[in-house]
Amino acid sequence: MTSVKQYVKKTKVWKSIFRHDFADSPRTRLQRIFGNVFLHLHPVRIAKDAIRVTYTWGLGGISFYLFLVLTVTGILLMFYYRPASALAYRDIKDLSFAVTLGGFLRNMHRWAAHLMVVTVIFHMVRVFLTGAYKPPREYNWVVGVLLLVMTLFLSYTGYLLPWDQLALWAVTVGAQMAANSPLLGNEGPFMLPFISTQNDARFVLVGGTVINDATLIRFYVLHCIAVPFLFTIFLAVHLWRVRKDSFSLQTGEKVDVWPHLVSREFVAALLVTVILFVWSIVMEAPLEAEANLNVTPNPSKAPWYFLGLQELLVYFDPWIAGVVLPTLIIVGLMAIPYVDTNPKGVGVWARMGWQRVGPTRLWVPTERPFAVSVFMLGVIMWFVLIFIGTYDRGPNWEWYWPWEPWSYRRLTKMTLKNLPNLWGLVLLGAYFLSGTPVPKPVRDQMAARGGPKAPGLASAALHVGLGLVIAAAIFIPLLTAPDPDYPARSRYPTLFESLGRSVNAPMVSLLYGWVKHVGPAAGYAMSGLVVLAFGGALGALGIAFGKFKDRLYDELGLIKYSVVMALFLMMMGVLGKIMLRLLFGVKYVFSLPQFNFNI
Amino acid sequence: MADPVAAPAPMAGAAASGTAAGRPQGLWERLEQRFGRREFLLKSGWGFFWLFLGGWLLSNLRFLFPNVLYEASLAFKAGKPDEYPLGISEKWKKLQRVWIVRTPQGFYAYWARCTHLGCTPNWFDAEGRFKCPCHGSNFNPDGDVIAGPAPKPLWRCAITLADDGQLFVDKGRLENRPGAREQGEFFLPYAAA
Repeated sequence: MTSVKQYVKKTKVWKSIFRHDFADSPRTRLQRIFGNVFLHLHPVRIAKDAIRVTYTWGLGGISFYLFLVLTVTGILLMFYYRPASALAYRDIKDLSFAVTLGGFLRNMHRWAAHLMVVTVIFHMVRVFLTGAYKPPREYNWVVGVLLLVMTLFLSYTGYLLPWDQLALWAVTVGAQMAANSPLLGNEGPFMLPFISTQNDARFVLVGGTVINDATLIRFYVLHCIAVPFLFTIFLAVHLWRVRKDSFSLQTGEKVDVWPHLVSREFVAALLVTVILFVWSIVMEAPLEAEANLNVTPNPSKAPWYFLGLQELLVYFDPWIAGVVLPTLIIVGLMAIPYVDTNPKGVGVWARMGWQRVGPTRLWVPTERPFAVSVFMLGVIMWFVLIFIGTYDRGPNWEWYWPWEPWSYRRLTKMTLKNLPNLWGLVLLGAYFLSGTPVPKPVRDQMAARGGPKAPGLASAALHVGLGLVIAAAIFIPLLTAPDPDYPARSRYPTLFESLGRSVNAPMVSLLYGWVKHVGPAAGYAMSGLVVLAFGGALGALGIAFGKFKDRLYDELGLIKYSVVMALFLMMMGVLGKIMLRLLFGVKYVFSLPQFNFNI
Repeated sequence: MADPVAAPAPMAGAAASGTAAGRPQGLWERLEQRFGRREFLLKSGWGFFWLFLGGWLLSNLRFLFPNVLYEASLAFKAGKPDEYPLGISEKWKKLQRVWIVRTPQGFYAYWARCTHLGCTPNWFDAEGRFKCPCHGSNFNPDGDVIAGPAPKPLWRCAITLADDGQLFVDKGRLENRPGAREQGEFFLPYAAA
């Protein structure tokens, strides 16, 4: 046996394929890496710290492995799938029930896709928390964000293909968001004059005016060829850059990539494979009834990773929730390495600790408190929205607590009202003005004129003032503006009265209850106190962060500060608008229906 | 004009360099002096290269807009008016995605498509509301939004009587503005027999 092996190893054929021996010598360890086209994306030696499992958790590599799994299972599924509306659903049924291993492959493709969305997002969070996007790796972070977007787009185009109800309605909603894009969508704000249903953004995505065969073939090509092609190109750039920029900032002892890194990758791939196998055997990939444009499932829920977006669409007009906010999230993520000038925290996980923040002690990140808090707040908000969409929404997309049974006949009492535009403008203006810093020259000038306490007092006055204006701009129109939708009688009821009767605006109905129970005079006085307290609280928040804002401005300069503050205020504004909707029953803060422009 | 000092101020520079080179300057020479022949050819060459590439890619964008659509007609005949009782009829929702509404005064028709993101709402007779299952928009029987994210009222379709006495509904012609939607082709006056 050994002699045969010896003989084979001496043949010309063997030598033409394998150019090195397999002994574990330092020389062979190097040759294995640079003598192999698949392995040569690795360096031959790497810092020990960079491959610590608890440093990267292997998330990037696992994402790449899942992409390979998806490619292989996807190619196999393509042998049985025909992208035509009359055939697609039947082919998927065949795959699930008639083709040997067809169901298993389909499950594996679906679950690997879900897992890839998770690992890609966690990879991004890991890279953020270890500061691995900081110079010189800014551009690779941008490429990574593009890969995340493409991962989500691959998922979106993929789930139309089974042509079931989930597919059809998810794509209907997604395509309709395109119709709401500003300028280029036929229902979007400030539509260009030549745009119609026959040539808008939705038309080109769907390949017609209704979702049918043309859409299916478009999504099929995007899913199987076009996006994976682009993805592979960006992936190559991404991986190559990771290597060229020497795997995050790691110094110290270097070890051979073969076997130290390659073995870890192998074990990770094995683990993921085992997980996928078990998952695919135990759980079937969902398949709903065949697509039917005339029956929408109730409730109609997107796959979990888009439920955050679907929930966002409840609170905002489609052009904001479906076009502007996703664009801002993507652009904002890409901007992070260019606006974050703090050189600290590269190559180590962000550390948390108890620190005094204003009057209280909080568990906050110690080294990059602002960057880490804001980023994690965004990530957590996204997952909270997903949680709400998954567990708190029932028939007719109404709010049901997870322990409440669903009822298709539950009466809806909710009504929503717009704030009058002028008050809305005051609200938006005061809100965004609260991002104003007091630059150092101005502070110095104030200190020179009014003593050392003057800048602090001015900042406090500004923030409390803006807080009170914001509070007033929410409450006063509710209390005074007439409800325009109410049928004309002897007098219009105010927005406050009409919202107070609806059960789904708890804040307003609470105040309304006071007015009803303790009489108008005391009730309105108590409401006024609530307004004052709310405004004061906002002002106190402003004061607490006033000094920090000024320091941030001094460090970042005008442009970076404006980008950071605008993105931050818009993120918090999303939260604010959600609260206005849930607690106050406010539909729009500002609305120009003639231009489809509603905020 | 022969004396460069007497020339008007803006011309002074060009005239001076012209006399320095010892010959009068045409447009071509001045261009050459400004850009240099080599640089000019290089820049215009690359300029045309990018223009061609950009134009070619943009023309492919147009390729993605189909010229012929194979889609079902948006208009259909909905039977005789007398077949409809007063109220909102769901008879055509499954096939044509349309609600036909009969009032004591006549007929109008809704396109059963939420104005938010295009899902099909459901009619809840007891509450007198259309509710959308995708994002929770609610519409009253007039089609106006009373809750949820939808930005505008439900669309009404053109409804007329065809030559054979059947209702003729056209989803290609839509109207939802109060005032305009209750008249013309969007409302069919029809007194009960």
